[in-house]
Amino acid sequence: MVTSRAERWALAPVALLLLDAEVRVLDANHEFLRMIEVPDVEAVAGRRLADLLTVGGRIYWETHVSPLLHIEGRVDEVAVELRTPHGREPVLLTATEREVRGERLVEVAMLSARERSRFEQELVGARRAAEDAERRVRLLHGIAADLASVAGLDGVVWVLLRTAVTLLGAGDAALWTAQESGPLRRWGGAEALAAPTIDELTEPAVREDGTVVVPLRTAGALLGVLALAPRRAAGADPLDLGTAAAAGQLAALALARATTHEQSVSVASELQGAMLSDGIVDDPAVEISARYRPGVHDLQVGGDWYDTFRVAPDVVALSVGDVVGRGLKAATSMGQLRTAVRAASDTGLPPEEVLGRLDRFVDRTGTGFMASLVYAELDLGRGALRYTCAGHLPPLLVPADGDSHYLWEARSTPLGVRGTTPRVADTVALAPGDLLLLFTDGVVERRDRPLGLALDELAEIVTNALEAGLDGEDLLAAVVARAPQDDDACLLAVRWLGPRTTDGPAPAVEPTAGSAGGPSADEERPG
Amino acid sequence: MVFAHGFGGDQSMWRYVAPVFATDHRVVLFDHSGCGASHPTAYDPDRHADLSGYVADVVEIVEAVADDPVTLVGHSVSAMIALLAAAERPDLFDRLVLVGPSPRYIDDDGYHGGFTAAEIDELLETMDANYLGWTQAMAPVIVGNPDRPALGDELAEVFRRNDPAVARKFARVTFLGDNRADLVRVRTPCLVVQSRVDVIAPLEVGHFVHEHLPDSDLVVIDSVGHCPNLSHPALLVAAMRDWLGGDRW
Repeated sequence: MVTSRAERWALAPVALLLLDAEVRVLDANHEFLRMIEVPDVEAVAGRRLADLLTVGGRIYWETHVSPLLHIEGRVDEVAVELRTPHGREPVLLTATEREVRGERLVEVAMLSARERSRFEQELVGARRAAEDAERRVRLLHGIAADLASVAGLDGVVWVLLRTAVTLLGAGDAALWTAQESGPLRRWGGAEALAAPTIDELTEPAVREDGTVVVPLRTAGALLGVLALAPRRAAGADPLDLGTAAAAGQLAALALARATTHEQSVSVASELQGAMLSDGIVDDPAVEISARYRPGVHDLQVGGDWYDTFRVAPDVVALSVGDVVGRGLKAATSMGQLRTAVRAASDTGLPPEEVLGRLDRFVDRTGTGFMASLVYAELDLGRGALRYTCAGHLPPLLVPADGDSHYLWEARSTPLGVRGTTPRVADTVALAPGDLLLLFTDGVVERRDRPLGLALDELAEIVTNALEAGLDGEDLLAAVVARAPQDDDACLLAVRWLGPRTTDGPAPAVEPTAGSAGGPSADEERPG
Repeated sequence: MVFAHGFGGDQSMWRYVAPVFATDHRVVLFDHSGCGASHPTAYDPDRHADLSGYVADVVEIVEAVADDPVTLVGHSVSAMIALLAAAERPDLFDRLVLVGPSPRYIDDDGYHGGFTAAEIDELLETMDANYLGWTQAMAPVIVGNPDRPALGDELAEVFRRNDPAVARKFARVTFLGDNRADLVRVRTPCLVVQSRVDVIAPLEVGHFVHEHLPDSDLVVIDSVGHCPNLSHPALLVAAMRDWLGGDRW
């Protein structure tokens, strides 16, 4: 028997609703009443559809579905939830709008979406997990790359505090590092970020205010604690404990590496300091000052050195050099080679033969291969300077009464390298008050330009500093201040004051006297 | 006259209102970052982590399009964005029209915002449940422009590229913020347009906004729902015309 259309609407196996222009219920079929567990239409008649939804569904209806319905006259397959006496009923909703005799009516059909909803939730969950994993990996890569770019404790701390905000999404971050003795040392973070409790030293934890605290451990040892405070903005995501914990593992490894590194750096720099400490000859005929400044970007010490010592009562030897490499090994090689220079020199032995002896030392020991070196001997009585450069930048001579110039003679290959040119030396005669500057290549700012230009600039810097009245340590400090920061810079300044008198300090220098220089010096100097 | 759309839509939410004013105003419409056809790179999770990023966007837009102070019309969350922009840069704004404003959606001690914190969490859940259908469901809003059907596919493509996660964040920014204390900072004359029935921004909230704004008028229009700009455009337009062209001007 064929039923009426009205009956078929009432008994359709899908929930059907008829709504008025203000989306209030005019009629509902059996399936809908069954879904929300009410006995008859009277229980819902006149109520707004939005009120039958969960609150989330209501807002979604108002902000998304209703506008769409107004514009398109139709919405399809929108997932919302109905409120029922026993909780929620997920449904898929389709609605159309039409006009009947000038009145706007909305027809709604709903299908239970319990199964689909479960399936979708799994899909959403899987998708979100995949997105989270991808984001986490990308983020950890970023942190690892940043940590790899720094060496010392300061650098690691700086990177951790910065990436906590830029990559991990923290509003504020503080780090505590373990010290050899005493309490944890705090770095960064506002006061509101409280120090970790005992419990927080063992396991990553989330505080009540959303702050994530991660102990940094390697092989069981506590190296520090990282605390990340969440951002306060309403739209900010909460901090992810898992990501923070993974970042903590990277941080712990970096801290361990930084600690080892700093120990090695401090051993190397102490060693280097000790080796350079005895290098200044004290004599009234000469003013000697020296300066060593380690590069800042790499905390490792380099293999630069300076040295002065007597080879005869009236002769002072000067050496400035640079062994290849950095760190503890370079520092020890430097010490050996510097001592070897002292051992190789001898009263009356010409500088080129000193280099020959050093070549043999390098051959035998392997220490100092490719090291560069300027070696010179200054006769304190006559002012004669005999010098030789093995692969090293030329010394700068600043006469007391003339223009400065580099000593370009007497050049040969670095130590241990047998070139076609023999080891050679040259002699210049100094006048009282003349200044000689020996330096390593870290003093010269290269910046991808020809060496000549860089050396001209150095000469100008020295001249300007002298004109500004700087001398000795102050002069060297001014020069070093202009040197590139990333490399080690080593400088030795030697000013010959003239033959010493037997009963007093060296005579005052009269730059205008111009009579003390030897004949060869006169040739080189403009009148 | 600059129109700023609310949460859940794009500039097409003004399709029945803006054209009416275009006859005697220069009308500027835009999509908020992360909404509609906005360029995917315009959205910055840091900048847009709270309303201040959207406020800065509006200030930049107004500075770019107008030499003189403008009338800014903001719907829903954009009503708050408009208020914050005017508090910060009163020189840019002549008048504000606030459609369904709410400075705080969550109930507080003595304040009725309409929702509990748990209910807002539920909204975020609902958005998650629609995660798969999210973009598809909203695409017709922007592509359904009968005047320019050719735009359809192109815009749908743009829209599909938009990140549902962004919409979710915008929901957090919208519904978890509290800007009640900012109302008193606004010196610009405001019109508060309140729907008679609005579950998102109830009547009480409309009164609260009106009472706390130093210079405002309140009009309750006989509309139902949070989007009178779509459901009852004629009532909204009349209220706006009345106020904008009224005696005080």
